[in-house]
Amino acid sequence: MQAAPSRVRFALASALLAGVLAVALAACGSSNTSSSATSSIPLKAGESPAGQQLYGKQRGGTLTVYDHEDFEHFDPGEAYDAEDYTITSATQRSLYSYLPNNASKLEPDVAAGQPAIADGGKTVAIQIKPHIYFSPPVNREVDSGDVAYAIERGANPNVANPYFESYFGDIVGADKATGGPISGIETPSRYTIVFHLTKPTAALLVGALSLPLSAPVPPEFAKPLDAHKPTTYGSEYLVATGPYMLKSDSTGKFLGIGYQPGKSATLVRNPRWNPHTDFRPAYLNQIDINIGAESTVIGQKVLQGEDIVQNDTPAQSAVKEAYEHYPQQITFTPGSGTYYASLNTAHGPFANIDLRKAVWAALDRDAIVKVRGGPLTGQPMTHFLYPTVAGYEQAGGAAGPKVDYNEHPEGDPAVAAKYMKLAGYPGGKYTGGSTLQLVGATGEPEDAMAQIVNQTLQSLGFKTHLTLVDKSVMYGKYCTVPAQAIDVCPNVGWVRDFADPQTVLYSTFYGPAIRPEGNSNWSQLNDPQINAAMEKATLVVGEPTRAEAWGKIDETLVAQAAALPEVYANAAQIEGKGIAGVNQLWNTGTWDYDFTSLK
Amino acid sequence: MTTGAADILVADPALGGRYDWSAGGFDAGGPGSAGGALAARSPWRLFWLRLRRDRVALVSLGFIVLLVVVALAAPLVVQLAGVPGPYVQNPNALDAFGSPTGPSLAHPFGVDQLGRDVFARVVYGARTSLEVGVIGTAIATVIGTVIGLLAGFYRGLTDTLLSRLTDVVLCFPVLLVGLGLGAACSVRGCFKGAIQPGVSTIVAIVALFNWTYIMRIVRGQVLSLREREFVEAARSLGASNARIVFREILPNLTAPLIVYASLLIPANILLEAALSFLGVGVRAPAASWGQMLADATPIFNTAWWYMLFPGLALLLTVLAFNLLGDGLQDALNPRMGRSIE
Repeated sequence: MQAAPSRVRFALASALLAGVLAVALAACGSSNTSSSATSSIPLKAGESPAGQQLYGKQRGGTLTVYDHEDFEHFDPGEAYDAEDYTITSATQRSLYSYLPNNASKLEPDVAAGQPAIADGGKTVAIQIKPHIYFSPPVNREVDSGDVAYAIERGANPNVANPYFESYFGDIVGADKATGGPISGIETPSRYTIVFHLTKPTAALLVGALSLPLSAPVPPEFAKPLDAHKPTTYGSEYLVATGPYMLKSDSTGKFLGIGYQPGKSATLVRNPRWNPHTDFRPAYLNQIDINIGAESTVIGQKVLQGEDIVQNDTPAQSAVKEAYEHYPQQITFTPGSGTYYASLNTAHGPFANIDLRKAVWAALDRDAIVKVRGGPLTGQPMTHFLYPTVAGYEQAGGAAGPKVDYNEHPEGDPAVAAKYMKLAGYPGGKYTGGSTLQLVGATGEPEDAMAQIVNQTLQSLGFKTHLTLVDKSVMYGKYCTVPAQAIDVCPNVGWVRDFADPQTVLYSTFYGPAIRPEGNSNWSQLNDPQINAAMEKATLVVGEPTRAEAWGKIDETLVAQAAALPEVYANAAQIEGKGIAGVNQLWNTGTWDYDFTSLK
Repeated sequence: MTTGAADILVADPALGGRYDWSAGGFDAGGPGSAGGALAARSPWRLFWLRLRRDRVALVSLGFIVLLVVVALAAPLVVQLAGVPGPYVQNPNALDAFGSPTGPSLAHPFGVDQLGRDVFARVVYGARTSLEVGVIGTAIATVIGTVIGLLAGFYRGLTDTLLSRLTDVVLCFPVLLVGLGLGAACSVRGCFKGAIQPGVSTIVAIVALFNWTYIMRIVRGQVLSLREREFVEAARSLGASNARIVFREILPNLTAPLIVYASLLIPANILLEAALSFLGVGVRAPAASWGQMLADATPIFNTAWWYMLFPGLALLLTVLAFNLLGDGLQDALNPRMGRSIE
C-alpha cells in the first residue's frame, strides 16, 4: 500500500514484543553511533506504547480529535490508509486483531479461536463467535455468510479492494472472482467458515484475516449499495460490528449526519455492540473528529488542551514543543514503516544498476532524518525490512547489508564516484542527455526530502525536473502508473499490512505484481531471481524460517539497489493533558479509540 | 502633451513657474517668475524636474535600482556577504529537532528547513520577482497597447470585436487559471511541452491576462487623440494610418503607459508570489519570495525569520513600485495626480 506517513499495512513483528522493542532501541542506538544527525537527542517518550495500560480506566466522556487530512474510505473493503484504519478499527471487527500494545500476537476477534489449518496448509477452518450483532438498521446476529460476503466483495470491481489479489488470491476460484460467491470459501454452518487454497499459504491468509476486509458485511444491506460504481457502502451508508458507529439515521445513512466531508466525523456508541464477545473496553462515549485545520494550529490546541488528541502526524514544531515542554503528552512508536525513493529500474538511466548504487552512496540519509524531525522521528534506513518486522535482524539490523554504498548514511562521494565510473561515466558525473522526471509530494517534510534527493542527483550530474504535487496525485496519477515513466518518486514508503515480512517486500518488489494502475512496485523491479526467491519464500512455514527467507530477499534487494532508502519512521502522536491515550504499537502508532480514555 | 513637441519654453522650476501641459501654455504665476529668465526644457526634462522634487518617489526609485542591481549581481552579492549559495543544503544548520536556526553571523537571515541560507534565497528571489514583474508587464503592455491602438483608431467592428475580446479575457480568474495550468501541466508540461511550470509560464499568464487594463486605457486615449488637430493635420498631409498610429498617436501615450505599467509591475510581482505560495509558481529549488512564505507558514512559530525576510522584501518591493508609480503619475500628469508642491 502506498506510502506513509499514513498508508497502513497491518503488521506484525517477527519476534516477541520484548525482542521487537529491543530491536527498535538497538536501531536507535546504532544510528546514534553512525550519524551526526542522530547524536544529540536520546529517544524519550512520555509513555512507551509497549507499557500502555489497556484496562481498568475511566469510562465515559467525549474525545475531541483533530485531523489535518480527510478520510478516504470507511468501507472495510476499501480502507487501506492509517487515517481510515482508525475508524475501521473502532467500527468493524475483523476475524482476528491485535491488541494495541502487542505487535506480534493475533487475537481472535469475530473468530472464536485460533484457525484450524489442514491439508498441508491448503485449508483453513475458523469458528466464529455467536451473539455478535450488526448495528442498526440491520440489528441481526452476524453469521459466517457475512464474513464470506465481506471477502467476496473485495473482488467486486466496484469495491476494488487493494490487497485482495495479494493476500486472498490463493483462495480457490479467487482468480476469476468479480464479487459473487467464491468456490474456495465455504460456510458449512452458521458459525463456521472454511477457506480452500490453491497453494499451502494458510499462514499468510490467517495473517491477512486481521485486515478490515474480513470484517462481516451484511449482504442484504450492502449488495444493493455494491451495485453502484463505486459502491456507496462506506461512502454513504455503513453498519458496524465494533463498539462504535458513525452517527447515522434510521436507514444507516451517515453521509451528512455523522460525516461531513472535509469538516467532521462523529463516532457514537453502537447500541448493538456486545461487550461480552469483545476484548475492547471502549471507554469513550463519543469521538468528535474535526478535519482540515493546519497541523501547526492543531499542535498548539492539543498540547495546551485537555480532552483532545491529534490523529495524524503532528507538525515538526509541535513535536519539538512537546518534547521540550510537554513530554508526557507525546509518544514515539518505533517500527512505523519506511520512506524511500523509487528508482525506475525498467526505463531510463536507472535501468543501470551501478547508477542506482551511485545514487544510494551519494544520498545523505542523515539529512533526511534531520528534516523529518531528527532522531526522535526516525533513523537512517539501510534496507527494506524495518525494525520490528521479522527478517530485519537477519538482513543486517540497523547497519544493514554490508556493501560499500550502504556504509555511510551521511553520503559517500568517493563510493558514488566509483559506481559512476563502473556505470560508464569515468568523470564521476552523468553525461547522458536525458532529464530525470521526479514527482514528489508537497508539504513538510516530504517537500524537503524530495529536494534532498533532487540535489543528490544533480550533484552526480543528472539534469532533473522535480515536480511537487499533492500526495494523492503523486500516487494516483504518477508513481503508481508505470506508463507515466517517472524516473524517481522521492516520497514513497511502506507500512506492513500485518505481522509478516512478505507484506513489506512482496507488493513493492515482486515483478509480476506490477500493474498498469495502482501499482505498488514503484521501482518496477522485475528481477527473475528475486521473483523466484519470493515465490519460494511465500510457501515457507514457521516464523523463524520465514524471517530467514525474507531477510535474504531483503539482502538481495539491497544488492540490486532496488530503491533508494531514506528513513525508518517512528510515528509521533500528541495528546492533551486530560487524555490517557493508547497507540497501536503493531501498526503505525495512531490512536486506538477502543482503548483510549479520559483521565 | 502635444505631438512632436520639441523644446518648450518654460520657466526655470526653481523660479516657480509651471507649464500647463493640456493648455499648452505657460503660467508664470509663481513667486519670482516676474522677470525670470525663460529656458528651453524638453517634456522629459520637465518630468525629471518634477520627479526629483518628490522625495518619496526618489527613495522608491533608489530602492528599485538597488534591487535591480542586487538581482543582476546576485552571485556576487551572495559571495560578498560570505554566505552559502541559495541551493546549498546544510543539515548541520538545523537544530537537533530538524528545525531551522535563526539569524547568526554565518547566516544573517537564518536558514530554512533544508539549512539553506535565507539571505541568499531572498537575494535570488528578487530575480524571480523582477523577471515576472518586468518582463510580464512589458509583454502585457505591448499586447495591450497594440490592441488598444487598433480598437481606438479603427473603431467600428474592429473596436467591437477587440473590446469584446478584452471583456472575455477580463472574465478569466487569473489565479484559478494559473492554478489549473500549474496542476495540469506540472510534470511534463502541456501542448507537447510548450507550457512548463516555472517562471516562463507565470510570465505567460501575466502577459496573457493582464494586457486588458492597458488596452482599455490606450483605447480611450486613442479615441480622444484621433480627433485632435495634429492627427487631422497629419492625415491632410497624406500620412498613412500606420504612420498616424505609430508616429503621431503612440508618442502621446507614453506618459499613461509609463504610469500604468509601473503600477502593473507590483501587481504582477504579487501574482507571482501568490502562484508560488499556492505551489504552482517557480519550480523547486528555485527561489521565490512567495514560495518561501508558503514554506515558512507551517513553521512560523519556530522560525519567524523565514517568513519575515522574504515578506519584508516583497512588501518593500511592491511598496516601492507603487510609490514610484504615484510619483510618475504626478510628474507626468500633474493636473491628474497629487500636487507635488
